[in-house]
Amino acid sequence: MIGYDAVPGLVETREAFGETTLEVDPTRLLEACAHLREEGFNILSDVTPTDYLGWGERGVAGYIGTPAGRDLNAPGSQGYARRPHPKPKRFSISYHLLKLDRDPRRVRVQVWLDDGEPVESVVSIWPTADWHEREAWDMMGIPIEGHPNLARILMEDDWEGHPLRKDYPIGGEPVRFSGEE
Amino acid sequence: MAVDKTIDPKRRANRPLAKAGLQSERLLWPTKGPGVFEQEVESLEDALGLTTLQKAVAWAQTNSMWPDTFGLACCAIEMMSIVSSRYDIARFGMERFSSSPRQADLLIVSGRVAHKMAAPLRQVYDQMLEPKWVIAMGACASSGGMFNNYTILQGVDKIVPVDIHVPGCPPRPEALMEGIVRLHEKVMAGVPPAYEIRGAAS
Amino acid sequence: MATVERRPRLYEGTRIPSPIPTVLQAPEELRRGGDLLTVNFGPNHPSTHGVLRLVVDLEGERIAGIGAVVGYLHTGFEKTMEQKTWWKAITYPERIDYVSFQYNELVFVLAIEQLLGLEVPRKATWMRMALSELNRIHSHLVYIGTSALEIGAISMFWYCFRERDLVLDLFEMVTGVRMHTRYFQAGGLAEDIPMGFYADARRFCVRMPKAIDEYEAILDDNRIWRERTVGIGLLSREDAIALGQSGPILRASGVDWDLRRDQPYLAYDQVEFEVPVLHGGDVYDRYRVRMDEMRQSTGIVAQCIERLEEMQGEPWIADDRKVVLPPREELHTSMESLIHHFKIVTEGYLVPEGEIYVTVESPRGELGCYVVSDGGPKPWRVKFRAPSFVALEATATCMRDAAIADLVAIVGSLDGVMGEVDR
Repeated sequence: MIGYDAVPGLVETREAFGETTLEVDPTRLLEACAHLREEGFNILSDVTPTDYLGWGERGVAGYIGTPAGRDLNAPGSQGYARRPHPKPKRFSISYHLLKLDRDPRRVRVQVWLDDGEPVESVVSIWPTADWHEREAWDMMGIPIEGHPNLARILMEDDWEGHPLRKDYPIGGEPVRFSGEE
Repeated sequence: MAVDKTIDPKRRANRPLAKAGLQSERLLWPTKGPGVFEQEVESLEDALGLTTLQKAVAWAQTNSMWPDTFGLACCAIEMMSIVSSRYDIARFGMERFSSSPRQADLLIVSGRVAHKMAAPLRQVYDQMLEPKWVIAMGACASSGGMFNNYTILQGVDKIVPVDIHVPGCPPRPEALMEGIVRLHEKVMAGVPPAYEIRGAAS
Repeated sequence: MATVERRPRLYEGTRIPSPIPTVLQAPEELRRGGDLLTVNFGPNHPSTHGVLRLVVDLEGERIAGIGAVVGYLHTGFEKTMEQKTWWKAITYPERIDYVSFQYNELVFVLAIEQLLGLEVPRKATWMRMALSELNRIHSHLVYIGTSALEIGAISMFWYCFRERDLVLDLFEMVTGVRMHTRYFQAGGLAEDIPMGFYADARRFCVRMPKAIDEYEAILDDNRIWRERTVGIGLLSREDAIALGQSGPILRASGVDWDLRRDQPYLAYDQVEFEVPVLHGGDVYDRYRVRMDEMRQSTGIVAQCIERLEEMQGEPWIADDRKVVLPPREELHTSMESLIHHFKIVTEGYLVPEGEIYVTVESPRGELGCYVVSDGGPKPWRVKFRAPSFVALEATATCMRDAAIADLVAIVGSLDGVMGEVDR
């Protein structure tokens, strides 16, 4: 199983830090997951949504960075040596799979989505995805199609907004000079 | 019952705290004068002028103040450890943690209070019978702690009136017991519970 | 006295409810006409480990339907950690799983170190292992103390917390605080190991197996304990895997999987220990797995202490000044150290761009940390894969055909810590 080329909907395979990431087309996610399940990846460890709004745009202090240079009025502006690689879309969902075996393997299946673009639920393949996908909906607002019970799980039922998004404020009481927005 | 010999016997007669046998740091630290808290409590005692019956009632309330099991997070683990044999809370008559708020006197809010949990907290507080006291244990209950965000209540005294705040993250069991003992001293001195002092949030 | 009890065979097929795998729904006839009583447990209830709310449909004493409501301790860890620099963010994860606190710290610090490509000195690795295993003992002690207390074996609470205080004394000696020690830094440990630690830890390792013998003498062959735990809360091997379980729950259901042995991290491939695996899939087996794990952990701690004693005088943190603060004496003499100190404290060290998913074997199962870094001083995304979150998904499956009295035993055996579930 060294090669993952037979995974349906595979867009790209990346290897970094000793891990394999399979980027999959979101419309073919269910097929890809079913294929991997048959290959022996029987445990779904984690489903993580990530919001990349504002990726690579943070202001830079010092002589390297944006043409505007140092921004004295933004005391938290930090310095970068290099810009990060741009991401294809705003949201990504990473499914971390584990193969229980004498020779265990881990793989990450990643799909990229725009705001509001739904993704299919993998509950039919791994029932444990139930709460993970509910959390993805609750915290990031990624609509999951085919989920039997897509309701808020961590926030109150009538909460408005999706807290882990980058455009959602941190909230709380304002504290000066803490660098939090 | 050890008696504090450093107090002038004539004055000792008018000192309910010393009479009740509560030892102060003075005994452990002979050269120390009365602390600020003790001086304030003394002036309160003089101002309030407690009667003997009130003193008896206060003594009874203090010696078996049953806490309510309101353990939320990490502080709950340290709260459980005051029941354990090393930091025995049974010496103060408080080992009976009552899960029913109707039978509890003391609400120890131990842990961070999320907004979702604030309504049950207030409900439990309302179900307790007077007189009732609240200890905000730990930094999160006192002020929101290290979490200043959309979901954590910044201080439980926004929704319930608090008598004692115990700092720490989490406070050591001894720190919590110090808070409890101070509460006992407050009650013995006749300080009314927080809901009678602070008009708001009660 | 050996009682020969017949354990019921683990069931055929799957008991995972459908359509919703985490909600057991009472059958139609009952809901419409039957004698169904809906009871709400929690969020403030003595027999739930923290603020877990269970909405239970009871038919007499049998549980016909159950659903868990979580979120009462949602603290917004992940969003808060995005606002802090990497150094400050290490303080937060400890409060996630507040009973085995150092594991969260460990997994986050391992993730940072792997992204940085930092090499950690072996003294730090072995000490991290020793403290982690002590923390495993601590977590299992709290589990057994509270679970037994809830089922009715009240005296276990005092026995277990007596040893728990010894573990916390060791932590306090090394790190300064009992809980939430914040001792692991990116690169190693925060401080050197104090002198008295080795002797005290040795004494603890001698005392602990005797204490475990005591616990087993109280509970193992106790008829009441066995009646309340054997055959209760069954979870078959296939269901456990389908529900993504890990840790003691998986091992009690017959799956031989332990991250320390199968995907070793730190120095677990250099110590000898056994992984207890049982096949009953019930509450009793989960209890026994954890008891055996405590014994193995004591052995691991003893081995770590032996190795650590040889390493006295070695560095306890990596030497990379871009990440690790220089020693204070150097600040008086070296300009570069001063600048490094200043940059690390004010801006924070920069972690190269990338994403990583690191897992450790926490006392509850597979604790994972997914970190995305954009090359800056603050994390872009941190997600903790909490084993208790997944364990609570198994509540509905375990509670099939359970009586109301078993609810407490089963929830206790799943050993959920709500701080982890809600994050």
